[in-house]
Amino acid sequence: MDDAIEDLFESTLNLEESHLKEGYDEGYADGLISGKEEGQQVGLKSGFEAGEELGFYRGCVDVWSSAIRADPNFISPRVEKTIKQMDELLRNYPMLEPENESVSDMMDALRLKFKVICATLNLKLEHTGYPKPSDSGNIEF
Amino acid sequence: MMNFADENFELTEVQKLEGHTDRVWSLAWKPATGTNGAPAVLASCSGDKTIRIWEQSPATGSFHCKAVLEDTHTRTVRSCAWSPSGKLLATASFDATTAIWEDVGGDFSCVSTLEGHENEVKSVSWNASGSLLATCGRDKSVWIWEVLPHNEFECVSVLQGHTQDVKMVQWHPATDILFSCSYDNSIKVWAEDGDSDDWHCVQTLNESSSGHTSTVWALSFNASGDKMVSCSDDLTIKIWGCDIMRMLSGDGNAPWTHICTLSGYHDRTIFSIHWSREGIICSGAADDAIRFFVESEDGLVNGPSYKLLYKKDKAHEMDVNAVQWSSTENRRLASASDDGTVKIWEFVSASGKKKLQL
Repeated sequence: MDDAIEDLFESTLNLEESHLKEGYDEGYADGLISGKEEGQQVGLKSGFEAGEELGFYRGCVDVWSSAIRADPNFISPRVEKTIKQMDELLRNYPMLEPENESVSDMMDALRLKFKVICATLNLKLEHTGYPKPSDSGNIEF
Repeated sequence: MMNFADENFELTEVQKLEGHTDRVWSLAWKPATGTNGAPAVLASCSGDKTIRIWEQSPATGSFHCKAVLEDTHTRTVRSCAWSPSGKLLATASFDATTAIWEDVGGDFSCVSTLEGHENEVKSVSWNASGSLLATCGRDKSVWIWEVLPHNEFECVSVLQGHTQDVKMVQWHPATDILFSCSYDNSIKVWAEDGDSDDWHCVQTLNESSSGHTSTVWALSFNASGDKMVSCSDDLTIKIWGCDIMRMLSGDGNAPWTHICTLSGYHDRTIFSIHWSREGIICSGAADDAIRFFVESEDGLVNGPSYKLLYKKDKAHEMDVNAVQWSSTENRRLASASDDGTVKIWEFVSASGKKKLQL
């Protein structure tokens, strides 16, 4: 008897729950698509930024290293050592493993070593980045 | 330890030095002057973008402005420090540079400019041997420079660790260990790994180590280097201690521990603190007063305690930004203020009103 009444009203009783589930599934499916799209945009942007910064340091290190080869007395042993350390960091940077936890430490180390070299060589070099903060919003990736 | 308990002290103004046209931020007595016939020399730096060099006349005993170092810094000069030999003066400025001045027979010329900080440089300090120079600033970083021949400076390391404006850097008086204090309420201790140019933060003294709860403005060491005093916007002074033998044996990791906190003596920010060679701690604060503290014999059961020896109200008309004991004359003190003046003081025993022979 009790079972029969439950059967009779089951769909009504579960109305709220079934709508909730339907809405959730729909939202999840939509969210998955837009979340992936957004993630791709952010990943593209930060990947570009990291690559651009690494490329900037790579260029500096290559030019400095060439200068040292041409004239070993071009700079002090300390600066030469710091340039080698930057070279090492750039070689070992896990370019294809963005989720590797060491990336931010390595980028911080590169930035500090770059500052040390510029200060001693009295260079007014600065990595301004691309896009610059003022450009943001105007550039599509 | 000296016993100051039975003495009454007073702070006597010897001279007021006027000339700066803006607030005076910092002071530095030139090493090895004021003794053995060398007239005492004091440097002061100011919001007026200049550094003034004051020299005591051997004939009259009064100080006069011997040189004005100008047209180099384009903004406030926040800090100044003489190299241990007294040949070079380093000055840190809000213009993001640190200038190195050479004293050639009383003529000062700027022989080097250290650039690297992104913005305001707040403090500069030489190590005991004069081979290293440290700077810090609003960009939250601490820089270490090596002094090379011919007034060349090479950047050794850029240290990041503080999360806010770094107010002061100070080398330990006996070993190459660097201390910095910051708007992030902490004191950080930096040491080199062997001989590798690799400098690391080996200790952070913050609230969880019984440290300060607001900006740490300044710190200073006692003569033997086993104790450190710090002052803060939290209205307290804290005394720290370290196993000096372990530290001198080259162990940069010898930890500093909290010894005691002096609270209830100040009701405005304490900007400056300096420990004299004979053990008197002097503080300069935003209430225009200068205070003196010594270790008290009473508290030995519960560890060392410190007591207020003397307070000089209205030492200046505005905030006292810096207090600095003479390195050669035990009871001579200089102070600098927002009121634009520098004052020379004598801390004397009131009973008999004569200088104590210690």
